[in-house]
Amino acid sequence: MATGITYEESIKRVYRVCGILAIVTAVEIIAALSHYSWLGLSEETKIAAKLPLNVLFIVLSAAKAYYIMSEFMHLRYELKPLTISVMAPFLFLIWAIIAFSYEGVSWLQLRTWFG
Amino acid sequence: MADSAMTADHDHALEQSTEELWSGGQEPVKASYGKLMMWYFLISDTFTFAGFLIAYAAIRFAHPAHSAGEWNSWPDPNQVFAATPVTGHANLPLIFVTFMTFTLILSSVTMVRAVQEGTRMNRKGVMFWMVWTIIGGLVFVGSQAWEWQHLIHEGMTPTGNPFGAAAFGALFFIITGFHGAHVSIGVVINSIVLFQTWIGTYDRRGHYEMVEKIGLYWHFVDLVWVYVFMAFYLL
Repeated sequence: MATGITYEESIKRVYRVCGILAIVTAVEIIAALSHYSWLGLSEETKIAAKLPLNVLFIVLSAAKAYYIMSEFMHLRYELKPLTISVMAPFLFLIWAIIAFSYEGVSWLQLRTWFG
Repeated sequence: MADSAMTADHDHALEQSTEELWSGGQEPVKASYGKLMMWYFLISDTFTFAGFLIAYAAIRFAHPAHSAGEWNSWPDPNQVFAATPVTGHANLPLIFVTFMTFTLILSSVTMVRAVQEGTRMNRKGVMFWMVWTIIGGLVFVGSQAWEWQHLIHEGMTPTGNPFGAAAFGALFFIITGFHGAHVSIGVVINSIVLFQTWIGTYDRRGHYEMVEKIGLYWHFVDLVWVYVFMAFYLL
């Protein structure tokens, strides 16, 4: 248990994060379903909405990851060197995601032009 | 050296100089060897799943967006994942995976409670919360198994499916398969830790750190699911 925090306060923090995760997940599901055909949105609206929706999903999932890591995995209460040792390697993933997404788009273009 | 001279000046402020702290024989970040090794393992496993999900991104971008009838377009998750075990042929997109996600999140919450009771050396409390964590894990794996058999029944294989691009099946089964295997192994180890708690091993040892370490693994499994769920069902 983190120093200086009472038992009751620790439990409250856990359930608070639980509530946050539940609400964020519910928002994600509702947003994903809003794209479904029986909502009666026009095709153009649905295609135009896909990009901001995807950005929303990525931001919300990153928020969930932050809450799980900082509270459930206790990273918020650990000493700085440990927290940095854990978080720093993930910086390598940023370029990996960007590069391979561009790679995939390039494959689609090559397939489309050259069959 | 300049470093030692500077830290010597600050010794009245720190208990130890940085050099002394990191010279061995103690815990510089106040975490045991076992806990640090679990963290390093989780970081490496993160890269395993990151590799899988990045491959998923590259392959998915290489296919046109979903359009009905286009054989090579990426399947629409709202159409593929629309069944639940109890509602027969009802069309309920994403509902079952929502249930699975909440199950895993709740099992993570019960896991944190188990760790908290462990820090108070409360054997019965740890057992209570570990039992619920294990139940949550079993419900999740069972649900994932049902999802697999349902999709296989609909004709999805690693080399083809009736919903669109053939690669979808391979990626789905491999990524959810790896994740499901991690959850299953987590359930097994959680059961072992529950048994050890029951027979008093951690009371004799004087600390419940093993519960904390397997708790880290369990939260990692939950975290991976957050991203698998996002990749396959939301985006």
